[in-house]
Amino acid sequence: MNEEIDEYEIYHQDFTTVSDWEVFIARIEEMLNEWHLTKSNLPKLTLNTKKWVCKSEEIHFQGLKFVLSYNTLEPDKSTERTDVCDEKTVLSTLHNGLWQATTSFLDDFDGSPFPVSNWFGLKRYLMLCPSSPLVDSSLLKLIMSSVNIAFANVECGVPFFVKIREHWQHTYLGFYEDDSYKISYDTIHLKRISNQCSHLSGLVGLFKSKIASPVALDAVVVSTKFSYELKDLEAYAWKKTVHTNEFLSIEGFDVKKLTDLPFGSDRNPIQSLLLNAIWPRFREFTIVDSSTFSDIDPLMAPTWTITIKMRDNINCLLSETIGKMMNLLDNHNLLMDTLGLSRSLGLLNPLHKITEAPITISKLVKAAMAQSRNLSDFKGPIADDLLMPLLYYIFPDAVEDNTFNYPEQLEVEFKQVDSSDMKLCNYVKTSPESGLVWRLSVTAARLHDAGGIPYLAHLWYEFVQELQYRWERHILVPGVAEGVPNARTCLLHQKLQLLNCCINRALENIGSLTGNSSEDEFFDCSDDEVIEDQPLWDRPAGRLNKLGDACLKNGEPLYVPKTQDPPPKTEDQLEEDAELMVRLGDDARASELRARMMSASLLSDMEAFKAANPGAELCDFVQWYSPRDWKPDDGGSLGDRMLLPGNPWVETWSVARPVSASRQRRLFDENREAEQVLHFLRSRTVSGVAELLLPAILRAGAVKALEEGVPGGTNTVGGVDKRRTFEIAARELYEVEKDACRSLCVRTVLGNSIEGKPLDAIERAKILNAAGGALPVPARREFTLRVKDAIAPQVMRAALGNDMTIVGAFTERTVCL
Amino acid sequence: METIYENSNEKINNNEDEMTGDSKWIQKDAADQNFDYMFKLLIIGNSSVGKTSFLFRYADDSFTSAFVSTVGIDFKVKTVFRHDKRVKLQIWDTAGQERYRTITTAYYRGAMGFILMYDITNEESFNSVQDWVTQIKTYSWDNAQVILVGNKCDMEEERVVSAERGRQLAEQLGVEFYETSAKENINVKTVFERLVDIICDKMSESLDSEPAMLAGGARGQRLTEQPQGNSNPNCNC
Repeated sequence: MNEEIDEYEIYHQDFTTVSDWEVFIARIEEMLNEWHLTKSNLPKLTLNTKKWVCKSEEIHFQGLKFVLSYNTLEPDKSTERTDVCDEKTVLSTLHNGLWQATTSFLDDFDGSPFPVSNWFGLKRYLMLCPSSPLVDSSLLKLIMSSVNIAFANVECGVPFFVKIREHWQHTYLGFYEDDSYKISYDTIHLKRISNQCSHLSGLVGLFKSKIASPVALDAVVVSTKFSYELKDLEAYAWKKTVHTNEFLSIEGFDVKKLTDLPFGSDRNPIQSLLLNAIWPRFREFTIVDSSTFSDIDPLMAPTWTITIKMRDNINCLLSETIGKMMNLLDNHNLLMDTLGLSRSLGLLNPLHKITEAPITISKLVKAAMAQSRNLSDFKGPIADDLLMPLLYYIFPDAVEDNTFNYPEQLEVEFKQVDSSDMKLCNYVKTSPESGLVWRLSVTAARLHDAGGIPYLAHLWYEFVQELQYRWERHILVPGVAEGVPNARTCLLHQKLQLLNCCINRALENIGSLTGNSSEDEFFDCSDDEVIEDQPLWDRPAGRLNKLGDACLKNGEPLYVPKTQDPPPKTEDQLEEDAELMVRLGDDARASELRARMMSASLLSDMEAFKAANPGAELCDFVQWYSPRDWKPDDGGSLGDRMLLPGNPWVETWSVARPVSASRQRRLFDENREAEQVLHFLRSRTVSGVAELLLPAILRAGAVKALEEGVPGGTNTVGGVDKRRTFEIAARELYEVEKDACRSLCVRTVLGNSIEGKPLDAIERAKILNAAGGALPVPARREFTLRVKDAIAPQVMRAALGNDMTIVGAFTERTVCL
Repeated sequence: METIYENSNEKINNNEDEMTGDSKWIQKDAADQNFDYMFKLLIIGNSSVGKTSFLFRYADDSFTSAFVSTVGIDFKVKTVFRHDKRVKLQIWDTAGQERYRTITTAYYRGAMGFILMYDITNEESFNSVQDWVTQIKTYSWDNAQVILVGNKCDMEEERVVSAERGRQLAEQLGVEFYETSAKENINVKTVFERLVDIICDKMSESLDSEPAMLAGGARGQRLTEQPQGNSNPNCNC
C-alpha cells in the first residue's frame, strides 16, 4: 500500500489489487472461490470414503513460495452435489468431528497429507504451506492476518491452517470463523518437555486456563495412551534362511542352489515395537498423575495394543540381486572387454556403429582366426570346477547324467489365461518357464551377485562359445521352445529360437544332400500326368497339391506349388524392417519402394507357381493367390486391380522364371542368420546383456515371490519402453518382497491378534512375559482432555515423548450478548 | 527377400544423400518430430474389402475405385489433434491374402489399435472376421483396441451382410462397430477418431490403476484429465 506504484501497472491492472500484500490476499480469495469453498456454496459431505483428495496452487508472497491446498475426503460419487450445508451445520459438523476425533490418538494416521485432520477430526481443510520454514514472527502475523481477511471476504466454510515453524515440528495455526463463533486450532511444539506439562494435573490446569468460559466447567474427560518400547526384539526377530555365496566354494557347491533366487530380508524389518496401554475414558479426578505422584499403572489399563513400526528401507535379497543387474543398464562398455577379449573376438568399439551392421565374411574369418590363436588358452575368473557344472546345468544334454534335463514340452505361457489368477510382472516378456533362458538368466544373476561383472562376462563368454560350437556341429540348443521366433517371448529366447531354426535348416540341407530327396519333386506329378513327352527342362516341378478342381486358363489343372516360408525374424529385426519402411516416408514413390522390398516372397511364390504349372498366366496365379482379383469369365481373367499400369504383380510376374522352391535362392540364409545371432550375442554391451537377461530374472523373481505366498497383482502396463518396464517390475517385486517380510514378521509378533486392536489376556501375558515381566519407562505418553462447556466442545491433546506437542481446538463466541 | 532388402537399404541411403539438399525433405523430417504421442494402427481384413481405399480416403481425402492390391504391408501417416495433443497416427495397411499372413502378423506387435474390415457385399470376408480376431489375440499386445468396420455400405444393392449381423458380431466380440464407405466418405473419419479416443481412454485407465508405479517416468502420458469415473471393468481384449 505504501509501496511505489508503477504508473503502467495502474493503467493496466485492477485498482483494487495493487500492493504485494493485497495481491496475496486476492490470490487466496481467488482460489477459495475457484474451489467453491464459500459457506453458501459448500456441498455437504455425506458418506465419505477414506480417500483424501487434494487440490493445490502455488502462491508467491514476498519472495516466498507457498502452496495453498484444499484437502478433502473424497465425496461419495452417488450423492455428489446434493444439498448445500448452511452455516449452522458447518459449525456443528466441525464440533462433532472434533468430539469424535478424541477417540483416536495423535499418532494415528488417516491418510491425509497433514495430521491436522486426524488431530481435530476434520473432513476437509485448507492448508497454506510455505516452502521454507516460517519462523519470522512479524511475517507470520502478516500472513495470518492476510489469511483471516481472505477467509472473511470469501466467507469461507472450511477451516484454514498455516504451517509454521520448522517443517519437522509439525506446527500448524488454524481457525474457522462464522458470524458468532470462532474456533482456534493451535499447536505448540517444544523440543523439551516443560515441567508444568509433564503430567496430567499440569495439563488439566493448562486446559482449563485456555478455556475462557465464565461458567463452571464439568469435570474434564481424559483419555490416555502410554506407549512402551519393547527393546528386546530378539524374541520376535524375523529370521529367514540367508543365502550366501557359499556355492562358489567347491566344497559347498550345489547346482540346485543356483536354481533358487534368494528371497526375504537379512535384517529384522521391525524398527520398533510399541506396546500401548490405553485408558479410553476417565474423569480427571479418578486418576492422580502429578509431578510427585502417579497412580497410572499400565498393567491396569483396560486396553493393550501393539504398534509395529517398520523400517522404511529394508534390504531385500531378491531385490538386491535384481537391483545389481539393473545397475548394469547404465554400463555401455562391451561385456567382452571385461575379459579383455573384444579384440580377439573381432569386436569393435561399440561407439562405432559398424558393429551393428551385417558382418562380412572376412570379418568372421578374422574373428575365427583370432579365436584359434588367442582363445584356446583363455582363462576366465570362474574356476573350471565351478564352471563346468554350471554349463552342464544350462546345457544338460551335454552330459549323460540327466538330472537337469529340460522338460520335454516347453510351453510359452499364453496371455490372460485367467485374469483372476495370481500374476506378478506378467507384463515383462517371458520365456518358457525353467527353460534355458531362465536357467542362464538366474545363474547369471547369482554369479553377478557373487563375483561382479567379470563372473557375468565369463559365463556369457562360455555360453556364446557353446552356442558357436553347437551351430558348427548342428546340435540344437536345448530348453528353447520349438518353432520360429515367438514375439511374445523375450528377445534372448527369440534369438535362440532363430539359431535353432538355422541349425534345423542346416540339418535339413545335410539330409537332402545325403538322401536323394532332390529327385522327389519329379515324382509328385508323375501319378496321373504324362510327362514323357515333355522335355526335361519344361517338366512341372515342386507341386504340392491340386487346388480343388481349379484349372489354368489353358485347361490344365491348377497345382499349388511348394513354397518357401518367409524367413523367420526376431523382433529387433522386424523393428529394423519397420523403421526402414517408415524412413522411406509415406508418399507414392516410397510406397512403390516398399512394395518392391516386400515382393521377394511374391517373386519366390510366382517362380514356384510357374515351375509347378508350366504355361500358366498371371491370372492363374491370381486365382490361387488372391482369388478376389480373379474373374471366372473366359476361362479366367484378372480383376480391375491387377490391370492397373505399373502394377507390382504384373511386373514381378514378368521377371519370374519357373524355378521350384527347392532350387530357388533361399529366402532364409541360415549361415548368415546364425552368424548374425552369434555376433549379436557376443558383441553386446554390459547393458545389452543385462537387457537380455532381465526379463527372465524378473519373471523368475515373480515366480519365487508367488511361491513365497505374496498376493499377485493384475497390472498390465503396456507400451512403455523396455527399461521402464524393468524398472516398474523391479519396483513391484521390491514392494511385494518388502511386504512379505513385514507381514511374516507381524505374524510372528502378533500371532492371531491384529495390530492396533486390543489384545486378549493370553496375548497380554505373552507380551509381558517377553518383556521380562515388567514394563520399562513409557517412551511416549499421550493425553486427550475434553469438555463440553456452554458454547461448544473444547479439546486439548498432548503427546509427550522426547519432545512435546500440544494441540488444542477452542471455540469462543465472538458476539457480545 | 534378403537381396532386395539389402539393395533397397542402399537405395534409401542414397536417397537420403540426394535429398539432404532438398529443404522439403528436411522440413518434413522436422515436422515429424512435432507430436505428443504416436499411435501405431493397423488395418486388417480379407483381400479387396477396401482397406487401402479406406486409408487413402482418410489420409489424403481421395478415392480411387481400384488400388493395386497391396503387396505385403504399406503405411501412411496422419497427425490429428485430440484433447489438445498432437497425435501422430502411423497407419499400416496390410495385404489381405492368406499367403501374407505370416508377414503381416509380424507387424501386429506394437500396434495400439486395429481396424478390422469386412466388405458388406462379400459374405466370405464377414465370415473371416472371427479368424482375424484370433490373429489379433495371438500376435498383438494385450491391450490393443479393435473396431469392426463393414465397408462399401454405398453398394446397398449388392449387400449380403446386414448391418444388424455386423452389430451382433461386434457385440459378441466386445468391440465397436461402424458401417463405412470410403467411396462416399461415410464414417471414415469417425472410425479413426473413435479408435484414437478408445486408445486414449485405455491409456489413462491403465495409468490410473498404476499411479504410484508410473508416477516417476510416465508423466505427461495422461491424455484425458477427467477421472475415469465410469466403471468399465471389461476390456481384457
